[in-house]
Amino acid sequence: MQLRLLWQGNYLIYTKENMIDRNLFRNIDWILICLLLLNSIIGVAFIYSSSLYLPESYYLKQIFWIILSSIALFLFLSIDYETLVTYSFYIYIVFIGILGGILLFGKPIAGAKSWIKFPFFHFQPSEVAKVIIILILVHVFAKFRKDYLSWGKGLLGVTIIAVPSFLVALQPDLGTALSYIPIFLASLILAGLNRKIVIFILIFALALGVVSWNFALKDYQKKRLTTLISPGQDPLGSGYHILQSKIAIGSGGLLGKGFGKGTQSQLRFLPARHTDFVFSVIGEEFGFLGIVLIMLSYSFFLWRLFQSVAQSRDRAGVYIIFMVAVMIAFQFVVNLMMIIGLFPIAGIPLPLISYGGSSLLTNYLGISLVLNVKMRRFVNV
Amino acid sequence: MKNNRIYEDLLPILRRVKRTFILIQILIVFLLLNFWKIQILDHKKYWEKSEANRIREIVLPSQRGLVKDREDIILADNKASFRASIIRENCKDFDKSCRKISRLLNIEEDVLKERVKKYESFPVFKPIVIKENLSFEEVAVIEARKLELPELILQAEPKRFYPFGNLSAHALGYIQELSQEEIKSGLYAGRRLGDLVGKTGVEKVYEAILVGTDGRVLEIVDSLGRNKGEITRREPKKGQNLILTLDYALQKKAEELLEEKEGAVVMMDPRTGEILALASYPTFNPNKFINRFTSEEWLVLVNNPAFPLENRAIRGQYAPGSIFKLVIDLGALDLGLVDEETTFTCEGKIKIYNEPFSCWVEEGHGEVSLIKGIQYSCNIYHYQVGKKMGIEEISRYAKMLGFGTKTGIDLPGEKAGLVPDPQWKREVRNEPWQPGETISVSIGQGPLLVTPLQIAIYTSIIANRGRKVIPHLLNSRPLDGEKRESKPPFSGSHAVEIEPSTFEKVIQGMWEVVNSGGTGWAANIKGYDICGKTGSTQLISTEKDEELAEEEEDEEEETKTHSWFTGFAPRDNPKIVVTVLIEYGGMGGATAAPLARKLFNLYKRKYD
Repeated sequence: MQLRLLWQGNYLIYTKENMIDRNLFRNIDWILICLLLLNSIIGVAFIYSSSLYLPESYYLKQIFWIILSSIALFLFLSIDYETLVTYSFYIYIVFIGILGGILLFGKPIAGAKSWIKFPFFHFQPSEVAKVIIILILVHVFAKFRKDYLSWGKGLLGVTIIAVPSFLVALQPDLGTALSYIPIFLASLILAGLNRKIVIFILIFALALGVVSWNFALKDYQKKRLTTLISPGQDPLGSGYHILQSKIAIGSGGLLGKGFGKGTQSQLRFLPARHTDFVFSVIGEEFGFLGIVLIMLSYSFFLWRLFQSVAQSRDRAGVYIIFMVAVMIAFQFVVNLMMIIGLFPIAGIPLPLISYGGSSLLTNYLGISLVLNVKMRRFVNV
Repeated sequence: MKNNRIYEDLLPILRRVKRTFILIQILIVFLLLNFWKIQILDHKKYWEKSEANRIREIVLPSQRGLVKDREDIILADNKASFRASIIRENCKDFDKSCRKISRLLNIEEDVLKERVKKYESFPVFKPIVIKENLSFEEVAVIEARKLELPELILQAEPKRFYPFGNLSAHALGYIQELSQEEIKSGLYAGRRLGDLVGKTGVEKVYEAILVGTDGRVLEIVDSLGRNKGEITRREPKKGQNLILTLDYALQKKAEELLEEKEGAVVMMDPRTGEILALASYPTFNPNKFINRFTSEEWLVLVNNPAFPLENRAIRGQYAPGSIFKLVIDLGALDLGLVDEETTFTCEGKIKIYNEPFSCWVEEGHGEVSLIKGIQYSCNIYHYQVGKKMGIEEISRYAKMLGFGTKTGIDLPGEKAGLVPDPQWKREVRNEPWQPGETISVSIGQGPLLVTPLQIAIYTSIIANRGRKVIPHLLNSRPLDGEKRESKPPFSGSHAVEIEPSTFEKVIQGMWEVVNSGGTGWAANIKGYDICGKTGSTQLISTEKDEELAEEEEDEEEETKTHSWFTGFAPRDNPKIVVTVLIEYGGMGGATAAPLARKLFNLYKRKYD
């Protein structure tokens, strides 16, 4: 309400100190915000349906987070992204501190030290760290005007990603740690991948994979990978989740079983059905048609994001929008691949739709950065 | 597109963005195709699978806590009960299996096949019970052939078992299936139809302590109900054990002595109210109730004219007879109406209020004082003392000494008895109090009703010289290692407002009853200071009292009279109270007293 008044009102006296310029708000991409909210509300509906028989009202919590994240989104808009990029190194250091801190002092919730406990909710700093990583990668790469990446910058980027990934993997939360990599890849794509560097990264990744398979990966993580290959062999073991998810989706058919009537979801065969597997519930209850519709709505949202790149005033803006878009698109694609057994169950939620406050806040802050770039496109530096 | 990028050429990186987006679009289309395959092409397969996905809940029955006597002898146990079942699905050759199993379990092959045939409509994977309550040998045999005979399975369930059968059945109670009405009553929250719960006795009173928590297994079954694996499992939790104040040896002796009779025995520690024996005869075997009782057998028990299910010790209401005379003595002494020197002359007969009353000795007791009145249980003495007191005072002292109210024992269904007074008669019978009734009440007849347990409490008040205790069966010591949260509520006791010295005078009389040729001489044990009082009375309801009194004469008196004895020992610092009631036992001194003697004797040998 306040913002709308600011935006429409002509009584506001313009001063140079005023951070929120009413002209800037005129340039906000309201369509993107609408798409953001639309997908969030679809999420609330299915969190409601999938947690009907759970003791907690997850959907109410999700609504609370949507409101909180929307406020954060608009507050975050008031700071020029240039400023954020400039100070990104310090924010990054603070977050590394927090991630290290919860490793040392945090109490494990569900086996992982990923959370900071607040009276009414838990907060997962490793999620919000994604936004910080985007900002610092922009800081590193966007000032670089050549169209191809140098060794030095590449190594610096690897280091920037490696530290938080390592800390988060120790929590242990491999899913989130892995989701930093596509953000990094996005920055590499824009920076221009030298073939030598690509080969180097691939070798490095392979070596890391071999080493971690033998030394770092926990048994359940290994199982998830082997499950990917043959989920049917051990229906109650690690393949159980994928099989149940596929049964849920497949049994939905063309039109689905109806809202709240999914036997798989409601009979609790489906694990984590309000978080990672929420899309399986959609598939069961609304069928293929529902999935197509929601994928359309989501694709439109992604299209709008990618399309925004062209409206950036500088290289940093392009980087920001692109990395946010890749961050969301990657999670979207991987989550869908996960629930139909094309990707190991890595605990990657469906952005905006899955239940989870920290993830929602992260995506809203990401979108806030995109809006930030777009609305400042006419401002001269 | 507006070109507002003034400082740099962003076209190369915009091209890269575009390519990435195309890649993502391809991925999304690829995903859609996957969903198409799963949801449209393979829909039927997954639909069938989802139909086959069902969850079944299996209850793992918990064990009830054990009930033990004060020396840890188990009175109510659990027995692993095994039953053998056949799973047809696992049979390679059904006829061959039947042959083997019939030899193994000593069942006729035809009988076995007949039984299986009865359940032909059952799904093949479902176990069909072929033999229950297997012996240990049979269990061992089946266990040994586990691999050879996968179609034969053992299923265990804990079953309540009372190792001594009838012993202390009334105190222990029994368990039975929870009925539909009981579930609706809301008293058994969380229990289901068919659960076994305590129906009476300590099994009922301490249900909450004894009952364990059933375990649950959630397992996945297909549409045919075949087990596909467990989802969650919660192990059953055993109920807490209960330690009673009962003494196995005393209880057993008490029941042996009552055998072939109808009656009740209470043995109690007067210092604490701990019940050492609580017997009622005839009795029943609680083991029989646990098997799904056939209605026929149940009706036989319920309709038995001897009422074996009734706990006479707490629910049988009788006139106290001469035992009540001590109330008169205590009251009169306390009021100062008589002292030890006061005497009355007993000539065997007396006319009071123009009605004839007689003593039980035709020739009379002659000069009778307090001690002699108690010693020989003289009616004439007590008629006159009672007349002096009046019904209001008699009633007040009777209530003070524990009559007319429940004792508060931790058993269900206790009766309060009745202490009559003019107000009661007006309210209940709508008649004025007849002065003659006071005379009847003075010797424990008339509308007076007491339970054997009340008599035991009354005796313990005298033994304690005025301190009243609450009788109880739950031992206050901690349950095997587990600390109980709070002490049982019956540890309190309160004083009766009569001087201890007054009690001493009556106790002297009670000592003479047993040790100096009084009516209770048959309870005498050499070297053991037993103090007691006998009583002889009728069970018949008081309204019919007078009519019947006319009919029954001389020889019938022996058989129609109930026989009472109550006493305590030793005289100083009493440790045990014994109350015996024998229905139709004849004179108290003749039947009940010798029985009490045996119990005192056993107690003395065991505890002194």
